[in-house]
Amino acid sequence: MLPTAGLDLSGLTSSSVDSDYAVDGFHHRHTVESGRIVEIARAFCDGGYHLEMMTCEDRRADLEAMRLVYTFGRFDLVDRHLVFVDLVPEIPGAEAPSMTGVFPAADWYEREVYDMYGVRFSGHPDLKRILLPDDADFHALLKDFGRIEDAPEEESGERDEGQGA
Amino acid sequence: MNSGVLDTLQRGVEEETYYLNMGPQHPSMHGVLRLLLHMRGEMVLECEPIIGYAHRAHEKMAENRSYIQFLPNTSRIDYLSGMIYNIAFCQAIEKMAGIDVPERAEVIRVIVCELNRIQSHLLWFGTFLLDIGGITPFLYCFDDREEILGILDRVSGSRLTYSYGRFGGVTADIDDVFISQTRSFLDRLRGRLPMYEGLVTKNVIFRDRCKGVGVITVDQARAYGVTGPVLRASGVAYDVRKAEPYGVYDRYDFEIPTRTSGDCLARYEVRVAEMEQSCRIIEQALDALPEGAIEPAKMVKKVKSAAGEYYFAVESARGHFGMYIVSDGTDVASRIKLRTPSFSVMSAAPDVLKGTMIADVIAIVGSVDVVLPEIDR
Repeated sequence: MLPTAGLDLSGLTSSSVDSDYAVDGFHHRHTVESGRIVEIARAFCDGGYHLEMMTCEDRRADLEAMRLVYTFGRFDLVDRHLVFVDLVPEIPGAEAPSMTGVFPAADWYEREVYDMYGVRFSGHPDLKRILLPDDADFHALLKDFGRIEDAPEEESGERDEGQGA
Repeated sequence: MNSGVLDTLQRGVEEETYYLNMGPQHPSMHGVLRLLLHMRGEMVLECEPIIGYAHRAHEKMAENRSYIQFLPNTSRIDYLSGMIYNIAFCQAIEKMAGIDVPERAEVIRVIVCELNRIQSHLLWFGTFLLDIGGITPFLYCFDDREEILGILDRVSGSRLTYSYGRFGGVTADIDDVFISQTRSFLDRLRGRLPMYEGLVTKNVIFRDRCKGVGVITVDQARAYGVTGPVLRASGVAYDVRKAEPYGVYDRYDFEIPTRTSGDCLARYEVRVAEMEQSCRIIEQALDALPEGAIEPAKMVKKVKSAAGEYYFAVESARGHFGMYIVSDGTDVASRIKLRTPSFSVMSAAPDVLKGTMIADVIAIVGSVDVVLPEIDR
């Protein structure tokens, strides 16, 4: 793997591979243990990167993990790093360290992941729901919540009537 | 004075604070944004944006329907950059599934996307000035904007929520009427921009209201992932169209307008300059419009892609719009994350608005140009 100037990830990742940017839009892919997230963030921050995006995937079915996804990029050159962090698949129970101390952008991203997936972030200053109602008792993007095939069948006539006007 | 009196005075000062809810339904708030402001007098001590009022679960819908069925959702994420988002989703899927796009379709996409960008900037121009007390520019801008909506309506069938893109092309070809309408619009806009300059940019009241207000530094922008005109107003020449050229943007000659002061005035100047750059791109695209098909010979009915993670970014009117798509090999996405520029800008608001005056809050929120449905998704 070609080292990018100013970025030193040695010893921090569990695995690092080059990725084909022309195919998938990433230059590098890394897998990181959850305990190392803050160190990784610090390395990217010192290297001149910013947290471009953060999200989560419900991969309990195939990988038996809740997978946190971070991408880091730069404004001055195109170099996109994809970082996976696989967590224990229990909801609630999955927890990771918060990146807010390094990248303030992580504040809202982590709140959204908590809101949608129920993953908790230790050290987050104010971990609460962000898009869903405060009193919601579900995490909407979990795969076992709200699939269309689970919804009760409705007769089309009834629904039209309900909308009226 | 002894310390006891000082303490009492201090406590008195502390007690004279109050909370003010600005929005979600307030005439000068954008969309359904709610800012919970902790105030002392007219000074903002703390600001907490409360979002989610326009949450429509686009990301959940993406996991419940095929890629083609998700296409109409895309223009509803950000209703002002609808065309850009719609085309961007097509481009992301094309890249993922290796679908080729005919030349002519690529160029048409550039033209309609840039028209969409001008339209979005015009609406921002009008509403921003309306926010800070100038009603007249709003009327002029909406007049101009209406022209674009008419042009795009004629070719795509909708005024705002376009579904003009198809995997591998666009739905309808553009004709001579479209070309002449677009050219005459460019002439018209270029004729009006000097008037806007005279009316607004040189206006002392406007300048005093904006200069040095709501400064966002480069470091703040990087910390929060702020992109688009807001970042460029802080001095970073980052534009996805140049950094990671998609479609056929690498063919066209245009500049990235930047300013260094990072205040409301800089953001204003950057967007006005961007409208001219979009005009330049459209002109070049119209001059070199290739003949040929606008759709692939074989219609894409089912998207076939290798399982894996994909990322595709475009420059929307508000900045870096990215799509993180996880495919499991079927034609329904396992996950689509929409990385929207307004979300990042708004997450920086508590930091930027701290210590400002309440009247400036309106100017700052207006100048960063957030679209709430894009934040809430």
